[in-house]
Parts: sequence; structure tokens; C-alpha cells
Amino acid sequence: MATVPKQIDVGSDYKEKYGFFVPEDYIFKAKRGLNPEIVTEISWMKKEPEWMLKMRLRSLEIFRKKPMPTWGADLSVIDFENIFYYLKAADKQSKTWEDLPPDIKKTYDRLGVPEAERKFLAGVSAQYESEVVYHSLHEELSKKGVIFTDTDSALRDHPELFKEYFGTIIPPADNKFAALNTAVWSGGSFIYVPKGVRVDIPLQAYFRINAENMGQFERTLIICDEGSFVHYIEGCTAPIYTTDSLHSAVVEIIVKKNARCRYTTIQNWSTNVFNLVTKRALAYADATMEWVDGNLGSQITMKYPSVYLMEPGAKGDVLSVAFAGKGQHQDAGGKMIHVAPNTTSTITSKSISKGGGRTSYRGHIKMYPDAKNSKSFVKCDALLLDDESRSDTYPYNDVDAENVTLGHEATVSKVSDEQLFYLMSRGITRNEAETMIVNGFIEPFTKELPLEYAVELNRLIQLEMEGSVG
Amino acid sequence: MPFNSQTLEDSPFRGEPDWLRDRRRTAFAAYERLPMPSRTDEEWRRTDVTQFKPAAYAQFESPNGHAHGAPLTDVAGWIRHDGRVYTSLDHKSGNLDNPLGHVILEPLAIAARNHKALIEPRLFSLAQSDRDHFTALHSAFFTGGTFLYVPEGVVIDQPIVSQHFSHKGGTSVLPHTVIVAGRGARFSFLDEYIGEEDEEAAYRSGSAEIFVGEGADVSYVSIQKWGRKAWHLADQRARLEKDARLRLFNVTLGGHFSKTRVEASLVGPGSSAELKGIYLASGKQFFDFHTLQDHQVGNTTSDLLFKGALQDTAKAVYAGLIRIEKGAARSDAYQANRNLVLSEHAKATSIPMLEIDNNDVRCTHGATVGPVDPMSMFYLQSRGIPATTAKRMIVQGFFGEVLERIPFEQARKLVETELEARLG
Repeated sequence: MATVPKQIDVGSDYKEKYGFFVPEDYIFKAKRGLNPEIVTEISWMKKEPEWMLKMRLRSLEIFRKKPMPTWGADLSVIDFENIFYYLKAADKQSKTWEDLPPDIKKTYDRLGVPEAERKFLAGVSAQYESEVVYHSLHEELSKKGVIFTDTDSALRDHPELFKEYFGTIIPPADNKFAALNTAVWSGGSFIYVPKGVRVDIPLQAYFRINAENMGQFERTLIICDEGSFVHYIEGCTAPIYTTDSLHSAVVEIIVKKNARCRYTTIQNWSTNVFNLVTKRALAYADATMEWVDGNLGSQITMKYPSVYLMEPGAKGDVLSVAFAGKGQHQDAGGKMIHVAPNTTSTITSKSISKGGGRTSYRGHIKMYPDAKNSKSFVKCDALLLDDESRSDTYPYNDVDAENVTLGHEATVSKVSDEQLFYLMSRGITRNEAETMIVNGFIEPFTKELPLEYAVELNRLIQLEMEGSVG
Repeated sequence: MPFNSQTLEDSPFRGEPDWLRDRRRTAFAAYERLPMPSRTDEEWRRTDVTQFKPAAYAQFESPNGHAHGAPLTDVAGWIRHDGRVYTSLDHKSGNLDNPLGHVILEPLAIAARNHKALIEPRLFSLAQSDRDHFTALHSAFFTGGTFLYVPEGVVIDQPIVSQHFSHKGGTSVLPHTVIVAGRGARFSFLDEYIGEEDEEAAYRSGSAEIFVGEGADVSYVSIQKWGRKAWHLADQRARLEKDARLRLFNVTLGGHFSKTRVEASLVGPGSSAELKGIYLASGKQFFDFHTLQDHQVGNTTSDLLFKGALQDTAKAVYAGLIRIEKGAARSDAYQANRNLVLSEHAKATSIPMLEIDNNDVRCTHGATVGPVDPMSMFYLQSRGIPATTAKRMIVQGFFGEVLERIPFEQARKLVETELEARLG
């Protein structure tokens, strides 16, 4: 099934990009299903310390006890017993691109990783299945004391730092899927940026799912020490398979005093994946946390990146874009939890539904009694491209603090006839005109992305729009 | 007289027709079957009813005939529920009788006997009795309440007023209003719920079902000023046929706990619903509003604005939904909730929701929660106005925009007077 490797051209070769997969060649593959034996086996395979095994087993218990969420998308079709919870694709970490096993390399070639790396990447932590197999880090960053590694290695190489923060921002009991992730997590990225260090180039990782019925449970932990800055980008793509896959990640971030962290996601799983992710950041005094979250793929996504504004002056920002085509339900949004006085937050959501797709904005603004003089503003815009599609807005606003200002605005509309008429009267076809309008609609999002991602996103929208309306 | 099946057969409901008795029995069965809402139900997550024990108030207020205050003047008709029921309909004030039928204004229980064909198909068809534990209880034991029928083509210029009274705590007063507007009818109606400010804890409701026929134009105002210790739960729901127009205005001032659903179903093209509300909560009052703008067909318009001011340790929860169903193209819906938080400890929750299943629509919503604007305060104070006066002026200005939308003069005056007294 593997074909000759070639650089993928997103603009002309959509099927090629989404239709491929390479044969499975695993060194270790845990049995299907979920029980203490499998969890113990995963931990043993990874040669983990005792405390991690205990935490995994405890989380499994919590997962068992917690009910499935009764709101949002229908998750009842997920069969937890029919999933591989751990796969190890290669037996050792590769230091350079050339050392990668050919199969894996082929997959990445098609994703365009090497080229992207040549151009602007500081480090690639590309996750093939459950284990990070490829990892490179700029000399410069190492010298500054920045740690950028996969999460498994971090547990081994930086045990104290790891234990101090792991599971403190999103404890296993937070929700059912956080418990599941904590029980069976594997891979993900670990980043530590020391005091005052600014990482100028975005760090990024590619995540992939490549085995039928296989869950991917990566775990990411980012620590920005005082006055530091880092921009982390995750983007994902997955080959098409026939049965449902589950992706359930946990991302924990700490942004200390005066630091700033930006976390950019372009989620483009194939449309059979259930993407149920918990992402949370703690922002301390005068720190800034920014989530830039784009959801294009998956069958169902439920994801609400959140910021806990812990100390005065903290600032949180969520910029969310969702695109739902046929059979897709994007249930996305953001959460801002104001704990301390003089904190500010904004959530901007842009969603597009097409061909029977459904987008839901779901958000929560909470102002605790101590969050005096805080401000929050939420803006949601939804575009419906045809009369089969659906859009929902569910904002929850709880104010328990004095002297706070909270605003919420949302609009839902179709592509305006006036705009279409204007463009078409200038000789542009209806389809092109609509594509232009959609690209214009999500521009606030695209302009926040690095150039290459922005170009790719525009092309993706173009592809999604082809032959769609009119 | 406890809330049980025996009471249903007893004196308060004696003389009611069998079909109504059956309705009450069905509702009572639903009441026994449906659990108390718990905080895991989304609608009740922020609304705590664990302290509410209806059984403690399972005694219907006995008649004493002493209505508070004088009846309103300049009205086309009034009905006063105060033990004995007084009705009056001024046949000179409009074209009340016409070849197509007469205007009917009667207590609901009496009308149920006299006008079965008009009421039986409609009663509890909008405010459904088995919706939850409390709607079932209200439906099984409703007491008092008004039936108004305005036949085709009848236009009544002056409002019709229905007043519901309570005089003491520890009791239940559960009125239910049914309004039917025939084709092209036009009129205004006021439901006023009046209790003694300081009466003991009690159970109160005040639900309304409003049927707006083709091309009819109905204004409905409800003013809830039960005592400050009352538990109030009510459902106001309207159904609008082709080209019908409804202006509904909800004023909530009373009760220790007040939960009101305000809902409009637009089932005929060209129909238009304006849903407005104001609330002023002080002390430990808790107000909950759940609104629904249900666009079932296209070419329909709805416009909702709920504004509230919160003092002391009062709390308000607003949750509203605009639902545009699949075929409802060219619908236009607006929804806004504005909260002015006047004290450090008052709280507001605002959840404006949209569910849009058609693309050819225009839907906008907004919500704000915030204190008095310090710039406005500064401006007024710099002109020598004392802080308390300045604050009151700002609150009056805040309500002014929506008070103008009260559809008829008599109600507007009532509300303005009431607000002035309460703002001090």
C-alpha cells in the first residue's frame, strides 16, 4: 500500500494527503482493552518509577467511576474495550532525521516535515503512534537551558521537575477523559523555559494516529518560568480508517510571573476520530496565556482550552476557529476562570458549518469572589453555508465578584448576498467568491499563525469549499 | 389540605367539570412520578430548590374579599381574584360583541364548565403539566386564574386587568391564565400578582398560556410582586399563528425565590414576538429566568431584552435560547440580557444560547454583567449631584429604555411607580 514517497501538494492532492497510510510495523503492541494489567504493562514497558504506576492505576479507578458526560456530543458509541492503549513503533530515539526508520520517515516526508524544519523549526518532536521517535533540538536552545523533549524522556531525565507539576493543573479526577489519559498516557511534549529566556522560533510537534482502533493519549506539560516566552505549535493529520478512533490528550501549562505562552493547534484528524481533549493553563501575576485553537478535522471534537487567572494582572486569550463539514460536530470554545483581582480575558470564536456539519461554541466565564475589577469579553461569530448545517452557542457566565465587567456577543449568519453579488459582478465565480468570504471570515485566526500554516489553512479551506455550495 | 389525590376531589375543586378533574388527576400522577429537580439538571444547576418544601404550604388561601387598593381606572374590564371573584366588562369601551361571538372574561374554573370547547383543547397544551415536578404540582392544584377569549375581529382599546391577591403566608396561591385571541383581534392584558411585602413564606405561581390567532395583536404584561418570602414558580408561554403579533412584558419584583419561564413559539409565517423583561432584586432575593424564542417556521421575528438591577446580596440567573428550526428561513432573532450590579455582593449569571438549524437567518445575541459605569458617576457628581442620587439616575436611565416598551400606559405607570418606591 505504501507508494513512492513524494512531497505532498496540499493544493492539488487532497486524496493523497488523507488517503494514505503505511503498513503497521510495531515493536510492541499492548492488547486491546483497558484493565489494571494493561496499565501495569504500559508502565513496566516504559520502566517508570513506582509513583507513576500508582497514579496510573488510581486514575483508572477514577475513570471507571466517572460517568460519561451527558451534555455535548453523543459519545456512547465509543467502545473503550476495543482500543489499543499502547503502541511502541521503534525501539530507540533517533537523533537525526536520517536515523529514522524508513517507514516512519516516509510518513513524515508526506507530511512535509523535513521541509518545514529546514525553513523555520527549532525542534521537531514528531510523534509516530504513541511514542516520540524523532527529536531534534537546536544547539542554541539547549545552551539557554530550554528543555524540549518527549514526555516519557522527561519523566526519566528530569524526574523532580516532572513530579512537581505533572497532574497538578489537570488532576485525574477532573473529568472522565483526563482520568483515562492519566491512566494510559504515552508521548506528548515536555517543555521547560528558564527564567527570562525567550524562545524566538516556534517549537512544534506532529502527532499522528496510524493504527486501526488505536487511541492516542499524549500528555503535554509546558512550564514557562518567570519572564520567559515560548510559542508551541501542534498540528495533526491522520490517515483515513473505517472504524472509530479515539484521541484523548491532556495539555497542562504553567505560565509564571511576567511570562507569556502561546499554544497553537491545528487539529485536522480524519473524520472518524473522536477528539476529546483537556487543555488548561495557570497564569500567574502579569502573565499571558494565549490559546490559538483551530479545529478542522475529526468526527467529534470536544475541547475547551482554559486559563485559570491565578494572580493580579494575569491575562488569558482564546482564539478558536472551527470548521464542520458533512458528519462532523465541532463542540469547541474556551474557559476563563478568574480567581484573582485585575485579571482580563477574551475569547473570540469563529465557526463555519457546511454540508450538514454542526459547530457548537461552548464557553464558561467564571469570576470568583476575589476577582475584583476583572474584565472578560466573549465574541462568537458563526457562518452557516447551507440550510442543512447547524450552529449553536452555549456561553455560561457566572459572576461572583464585585465591580467586574463581562460581555458576550454572538451572531449567526449566512454568506451575505451583497458580498457575493459584489464579487460575482467582478467576474469571480460563486464558489471562488464564497471561498474568499470564508477565508476573510477566519482571517483574525489565520493572521495569528506562522506563514506556512496560514497558507496551508487557506488551501484547506479552499479544498473544503470545492463543489460545496451554490 | 395536603397536596394529595384526596384533596383533588375536595372542596376547593368541587363543582369543576369532570374533564378538568381528569386533567388535574393526570397532572398529579406526573407530580408523583417526576423527581425534584436536582443540580445535575442543566436548567437547575444554578437554581437551588432544595429548601423549598411545597407540602409546608399545602393550604389554599381562604377568601376574605379584601383586595388591596382600588381597581385600576380606564380599563375595559377587570377580574379580581380574592377569594370571591369580581368581574366587570365594559361593553361600551369597545366593540365587545359582534356577530362572531362575545368577549369572555371569567375565572378559569368557571369558564371550564361554560366554555369547554374553547378551553379543553388548549389548557396545559403550551405550559405542559408534565414538564417537571413543579409544573405538574401547579397544574394539579391551580386555583384562581383567568380565562379571556376575544373573538375574531374584536378590537379593545383599553386594557383588561386580572389581579391575583394573597394576604398571608404559609399558603398556596396558584393562578393560571389562558388567553385566546381570535383572528385579527387586538387587545391588551395585565396579570398583576399582589402580596403583602412582609407576609410569611408561601408558595406562589402565576402561569399563562397565550394563543395568538392569525393576524391578532396581543399585548400581555405580568407584574409579580408577591411577598419577599414567597417561592414563585411560573411558566408563561405563547403560540403565534400566521402574521400574529405579541408584545409580552414580564416584571419581576417579589419573592424570595422566583423562577419564570418566558417562551414563545412562532408557528405561523409573518409572526412576530417581542419579549421584554425587567427585574429589580434586593436583599437576599434570587431570580431565575429561562427564555425561549422558538422559530418553527420562516419569516418570523423575535426580539428579546431582559434588563435587571441587583442590590445587596441578590442573585439573578438568566438563560435564554433562540432556536431556529430547519425550515425556518428568513427568520430574524435578537436576544439580550443586561445586568447592572449595584452592590459588591450581588451576583448575576447570564447564559444566552443559540441553536440555529437554518442558514438564511439573522441571529444576534448579547449579554452583559457590570457595575455602574464610573465615568457616568463621575460626570454626574462633577455637576454637583450627590452619589446616591447619581446612582439612582443611572439605574432609572438603565431601565428607561425598556420601560418605554411597556405596551400600554396603565401598566407603564404602575411599573414606574413601583420601581421608584423600591429604588428609594
